[in-house]
Amino acid sequence: MATLTLTNLVKRFDEVVAVDHIDLDVADGEFVTLLGPSGCGKTTTLRTIAGFYYPDEGEVYFGDRIMNNVPPNKRDTAMCFQSYALFPHMSVWDNISFGLKMRKMSTSEQKGKIERVMEMLSLSDLGKRKPGQLSGGQQQRVALARSIVTEPEVLLFDEPLSNLDAKLRVQVRVEIREMQKRLGTTAIYVTHDQDEALAISDRIVIMKQGKIEQIGDPYSIYRHPETRFVAGFIGMANIFDGVVLEVEGKRCTVQAPFGKLFINAEGQEIPKKGATIHFSWRPEDMKIRDRASTNQITGKVLQAVFMGDITDLFIEVNGQKMRAQSDDEAKIVAGDSVSFGIAERAFSILRG
Amino acid sequence: MKKKDKITPFIILMLLPGVGFIVFFIGSSIVITVLQSLGFFNMMGESGFTLGYWKSILSSREAMDSLLFSLKMGILSSVGTVLVAFPLALFFRKSGPAKGMLGSIIKVPLFIPALVASFLILNLISYHGLINTTLMRLNIINEPLRMLNDSFGWGVITIQIWKNLPFVLLILMSAISSIRDDTIDAAKNLGAGYWSVLFRIYIPLAMPGILVAMILMFIRAFGDFPITSVAGPVYPSSVANRMQIMANLYQEWNQAAVLGVIIIVTTFFVVWAYSRFAELVQGGA
Repeated sequence: MATLTLTNLVKRFDEVVAVDHIDLDVADGEFVTLLGPSGCGKTTTLRTIAGFYYPDEGEVYFGDRIMNNVPPNKRDTAMCFQSYALFPHMSVWDNISFGLKMRKMSTSEQKGKIERVMEMLSLSDLGKRKPGQLSGGQQQRVALARSIVTEPEVLLFDEPLSNLDAKLRVQVRVEIREMQKRLGTTAIYVTHDQDEALAISDRIVIMKQGKIEQIGDPYSIYRHPETRFVAGFIGMANIFDGVVLEVEGKRCTVQAPFGKLFINAEGQEIPKKGATIHFSWRPEDMKIRDRASTNQITGKVLQAVFMGDITDLFIEVNGQKMRAQSDDEAKIVAGDSVSFGIAERAFSILRG
Repeated sequence: MKKKDKITPFIILMLLPGVGFIVFFIGSSIVITVLQSLGFFNMMGESGFTLGYWKSILSSREAMDSLLFSLKMGILSSVGTVLVAFPLALFFRKSGPAKGMLGSIIKVPLFIPALVASFLILNLISYHGLINTTLMRLNIINEPLRMLNDSFGWGVITIQIWKNLPFVLLILMSAISSIRDDTIDAAKNLGAGYWSVLFRIYIPLAMPGILVAMILMFIRAFGDFPITSVAGPVYPSSVANRMQIMANLYQEWNQAAVLGVIIIVTTFFVVWAYSRFAELVQGGA
């Protein structure tokens, strides 16, 4: 177990800068997710931590040990691959024992550890099978068992759930999180699935084009996105530009294209009067028939999609389109005119 | 789904050239060789069943030495070629700027007939060849090494490796290219160094390809005629060479047929042993 530190990390492939000056501190036992669209550098960062790539600039530290030139087999990491990367010619047991064998552990000591891990992941009956005889979910668990059995300093996950079906994905991600908590191992998890990131992480690092856009816990990432990219990438967001008309303390009056809004910038950088700002709010922040809020919006429903627990709404307000949600029992159909209230604290002021 | 195609006279007609060729020329020639070794289809004199030709071959010192020599050449050439080709196949796994060029050069022997190849290599390893001359000039050796027509057969093995390297390389490269990068990375990640990755991942996963390469190489080297003629020892000759001597020099066509049958049977046996071994290797999967 160890802390993990990346300082000013750069990785280039010919002309392409895959990882562009990244700084990251991961605490001992913390679960950090690297999240971003494909090509954002998240997997490259992970592979640099594992030692499959050596950094072009900057440093990788495990604890206070610099790891830059340490080959992957000398780093005490364990990686779960997207393809599972099980050894097809070895039985489940031999797959799991591989890392222990490489560490020259005695067979009797191996046995105890392997049995415990197999028990934990309900693989006990599958020891003699070959990977080709297992289902996707079972293969996934073998890959997980193989990586945790060595009790590494850092666990690395490269989109480990993307080959599972939706139901299993939710189940296994809970298992991974519980396992990591129980072992107390520092974990870096790469995914492009925002739900997964929100559900599993202590902290989320959102990456775009090799750079970090925002680091924060799932709540603050979702509630207070700092950039237009983060607001759009995590969940649904209504993003608009507006001119600040008035600033009183933390409360701003903003002229948006669809009308005037009151935004409380508590905990955020307070904009200056006269400035043009970008801001966002979530569809679920639009409370239907909420007369109490100072911000009142009335719009025409363009499209209503009934989802069971909620109804997804596309509405038009003074010629501007936005998304809303209704958990109202009343059925809403296209063409209805509906009013919403938005709390002043629901808005995030975005940079760039 | 369509019903199974009926075999119409038209289909039989269409298949005749291919299937007929196989049955008539290949099948019959094997049958005739076998029968000839048992005294039938005699070129001269009377035909009739006899084990005499088998007896005289099996009791002939020359024939048995030839058989042992051919077996030795088959085994050593196939092992040698795979040993040389495997590291190369690993090297060519990832394409690189210089590798394309190198890959083309390495394939050259594929297009050169074995007899021509033998004469090319002759210039290198003969008594007064390039290697000996160079070593002498450099004062590393005092008198030339005997690398050609040596009694062990190193000259033959050298030329076999040279000639068949690209062929074996192609088989091994395709076997190795089917190993996923992730698998290799996973092994390294779990602490496997270079040799562990080689012996625990690359070699076991490439084993089917290695076996195929060794079998095909064995069959080629075991039944070789031209290379042994040029670079082989004065005595013994290869089985194929002995067959030619038997038939052309002594006009003993039936005994030549016995040697032919021995080559065919050995080949079948090796292929059968391979398929059994392959079953064992993949038995658990």
